[in-house]
Amino acid sequence: MTEQSAPNIPDGGSAEAISHTPIVPPVVPADAEMIVETRGLTKRYGKLTAINNLSLQVPKGAIYGFVGPNGAGKTSTMRILTTLMLPSSGQAYVAGYEVTKDPRAVRKVIGYMPDFFGVYDDMKVWEYLDFFAACYDIPEKQRPEMISDLLELVDLGHRRDDMVDKLSRGMKQRLCLARTLVHDPQVLILDEPASGLDPRARVEIRELMVELANMGKTIFFSSHILADVAEICTHIGIIEGGQIVMQGSMDEIKRRLMPHREVIVTLLDKADEAKSVLGGVAGVVEVTMLPDEAGRKRVRVSFEGDDTVMSNMVQALASRGIPMMNLTEQSHDLETVFMKVTKGIVT
Amino acid sequence: MTAGLSRAERRLRRQNPVAVKELRGRMRGARAFIVLTVYLFLMSGFMLLLYMLSTASQDIYGFTSGGQVGRTLFAGIVAVELFLVTFIAPAFTAGAISGERERQTYDLLRTTLLPARKLVVGKLVSALAYVFLLLLAAIPLQSIAFLFGGVTEAELILAFVILGVTAIVLGAVGVFFSARLPRTLAANVTTYAVTLGITIVLPLVVFIVFAIVNSTIGLRGIPADVQAALLYGLLILVATNPLATAFATQYWLLNKQSAFLFTETVTGSDGVIMQVTLISPWVLFTVFYLIVAAVLVFQTVRRVRKIEG
Repeated sequence: MTEQSAPNIPDGGSAEAISHTPIVPPVVPADAEMIVETRGLTKRYGKLTAINNLSLQVPKGAIYGFVGPNGAGKTSTMRILTTLMLPSSGQAYVAGYEVTKDPRAVRKVIGYMPDFFGVYDDMKVWEYLDFFAACYDIPEKQRPEMISDLLELVDLGHRRDDMVDKLSRGMKQRLCLARTLVHDPQVLILDEPASGLDPRARVEIRELMVELANMGKTIFFSSHILADVAEICTHIGIIEGGQIVMQGSMDEIKRRLMPHREVIVTLLDKADEAKSVLGGVAGVVEVTMLPDEAGRKRVRVSFEGDDTVMSNMVQALASRGIPMMNLTEQSHDLETVFMKVTKGIVT
Repeated sequence: MTAGLSRAERRLRRQNPVAVKELRGRMRGARAFIVLTVYLFLMSGFMLLLYMLSTASQDIYGFTSGGQVGRTLFAGIVAVELFLVTFIAPAFTAGAISGERERQTYDLLRTTLLPARKLVVGKLVSALAYVFLLLLAAIPLQSIAFLFGGVTEAELILAFVILGVTAIVLGAVGVFFSARLPRTLAANVTTYAVTLGITIVLPLVVFIVFAIVNSTIGLRGIPADVQAALLYGLLILVATNPLATAFATQYWLLNKQSAFLFTETVTGSDGVIMQVTLISPWVLFTVFYLIVAAVLVFQTVRRVRKIEG
């Protein structure tokens, strides 16, 4: 176990630095050790099974987006990982500590932000952080400097002596994020960190999360806003009906779900001929007829290879005089992935 | 155990962040001092009223007994303070833990390294600190009674002990229900029900039993040892609530000049005269309620420590 120490915020971690930092998530080596892991985790509330045999793997240094519809079991999983709830069966490990056997060791290495603010309105901003620092046994002498560093990091340095209830929603959320950092944890577990925030505050929180990941923290956060996840995550786990339906690095998931590139070819006529012509182009794996749309014929073409294959398709159709109107590549965004793997099951 | 710790670490162990936070919040701004000032102002007014009422009553020679005035003032102030403690101690503690749940800060505290013991004790100590501040602030007012005579330092100290123990046990009851019940409202209702039981119902029971026992003692046909047993029983019953304890303690203090042990004489049906050694009720009351408070705090800590299943 590492010794308890005061947070070590690098000089670069100032508000100024953040506001100009492009969102570039860290690169996580493929062989990185797992810092959060669950094995066969199950949680039942009476007859209802909230989590069913869940096995999660979060590599060290990752920004792991835990995505799923409401009621999928995200919060239950997080409450088990943060030692707030006992699982019905299975094991959960954080930084090598089993959450039910060594909850105190787990609490030392995690920073938890629930899906609500959890702030004391009758306190000043610095008092709020000082209180939680004291709760984490941070010596009194180290607190003032650490609080200044954290407030700068979340761009609240100028609000240090204000009462917490005077802060905006976004500011409160940033203050909560600063609170999770007072004891310099290895893992941040954030439940819906961007929910209820305006677009600007959401971007600010996202930037902060990436900044923290670049400082070496592992971030495990839940969200149902796919755009947030897609932009900053290195890894993703999709949960539905209490079960992980898919997890891995972002690239891996996209590759697994969309092994081939796809284009939709729209034609005025001669769809059958187009199908056979396209099937003969080198690199094309599959050609499927699609239903007509507004009187136009459509064909879906799956292919392997680069843009040359697409160019060859256009040439082949033109040389046969097939009236093609356009050719559109299907985007492989997270939303498509999500819709493909989930079925809309809610526990 | 703490030999290997540095000074800073030992200091950290002694500190209670919850108590610091609560006291900081309670004493912030002018509110706390305004409350204190208004409280003392009202108490002074009440004392003045009591003074005027007691001086108005004269004895058959047209004199007013200074000792009587002093005792009336003292008893009046103690009664108001008991009323105050009865209402304030539960009010400050019944929302202690449930309020954290409602404010959604409970989970945050549970994921820190703050031991459950520090959370519970911090809440209780900070609430009691303010109650004790009110009690201490009224001591100069109580001491005015000395100018008239009829009140001893022992009475002042014992009244403070009884009020203090009452505050501690009612505070512990509040914290206990606050941890047990999910909502502050439910915790408040239950705590006040228990408080009323201790401060109103029990004294009534004591009064009725006392009337019965008093008429029984000295009656012919009842053996001395039965009368002695009845006296012990009455003493235990008296010690179950602050009001009866305060009255009985003062009664025996005045009549037996003892704040600890004294003897009562009972005469049995067979003419046997028996000396019964009794202990002053405040001692029993203090020991009993401090044990109750300790058990409640212990149970509350266990409850807070428990991880949701």
